[in-house]
Amino acid sequence: VKSAVITGAAGAIGRAIAERLAASGLAVLCVDASPAATDVASALADEGHRAAACVLDLTSDDAPKAVLSAAAELGDLSVVVNNAGITRDGRATSLSQGDFRAVIAVNLVAPLRLAEAAAETMGEGGTIINISSRAALGNPGQANYAASKSGLIGVTRALALRFAPRLRVNAVAPGLIDTPMTAAMPPKVLEKLVARIPAGRPGKPADIADTVAYLASPQASYVNGQVLLVCGGRSVAG
Amino acid sequence: MSEIYLHEARTGLDVADVEEELTRGFLAVRDAIVDDRPVVVCLDEQAVQAVAPLPDVAVAHGLIGMVRALATEGRKPGWTVVALSVPEQFDREERDSWAQRLAFPAATGSLLRLGGEHLGRVVV
Repeated sequence: VKSAVITGAAGAIGRAIAERLAASGLAVLCVDASPAATDVASALADEGHRAAACVLDLTSDDAPKAVLSAAAELGDLSVVVNNAGITRDGRATSLSQGDFRAVIAVNLVAPLRLAEAAAETMGEGGTIINISSRAALGNPGQANYAASKSGLIGVTRALALRFAPRLRVNAVAPGLIDTPMTAAMPPKVLEKLVARIPAGRPGKPADIADTVAYLASPQASYVNGQVLLVCGGRSVAG
Repeated sequence: MSEIYLHEARTGLDVADVEEELTRGFLAVRDAIVDDRPVVVCLDEQAVQAVAPLPDVAVAHGLIGMVRALATEGRKPGWTVVALSVPEQFDREERDSWAQRLAFPAATGSLLRLGGEHLGRVVV
């Protein structure tokens, strides 16, 4: 049995990725700091998929070892999706050092450590997919988030070069996605953001899950070190 | 025009240094912005190409993202924040001369890669 690790699996995008990879036949390990990851794994198991949860703080020193150990119990690790992320937005002039650090720790350092540890153990044909963001191209009030997600793009390329041809490492950079977080935005703010998206709508978690599934599939066997912007054309429109 | 602040990304880092180095960069660049100084963030071209050690790559690309976010945020107040990438053996005086030329509002948010090593590689 081949297994996949999905971090941030309790969130809307992570859950969609876990469901999509489970549907493709992978045993999935749902990793999250929130105990809700257990609900996601249980729901998948109820549907007949092989799934388990791993609830932990990904920034802890022993997190990569714990995740890889739990994944090994499910099967041969072949896919790692670094999806977990946080935001601590604020104007640069007032952004606290703590909020800057926290975002870098969760969004950049934790996935770097997990990816590097996983890559050392994964077999031929394995793949790592890092969830970056369109915000890596620059968003006001997100100096910390943009730094973390742009850093993750660099990490993606470095790992792709280092572990080729045994593994492939790619990134997905979502734009505005319809999640509980965007649903909580004031309607006028959301309207303004959507007006800048050529697709005329926010993306759905399934749009990201489908892209991840493609990158994890043999159809993407010649795609390595790339960043796929899944943003409805927003990155072209500016 | 106020004196340019030239921020140099450190290299030879460990994974444990990434958070500290990016935070140091953010705080230093923000101080310069608050002082109304144009900022040029200097990077190692090998790290930008992602062929340097992983922590150095993470920091270089992290700083590029930060530069772009600050430039976007600073359009109204008129901040100038740019990134300049040069290979290790590149002449320092020439680099600094390019930094002086880059430090204008019209260039804000840009990444200039000198030395020609970026040719044929993916656009960052």
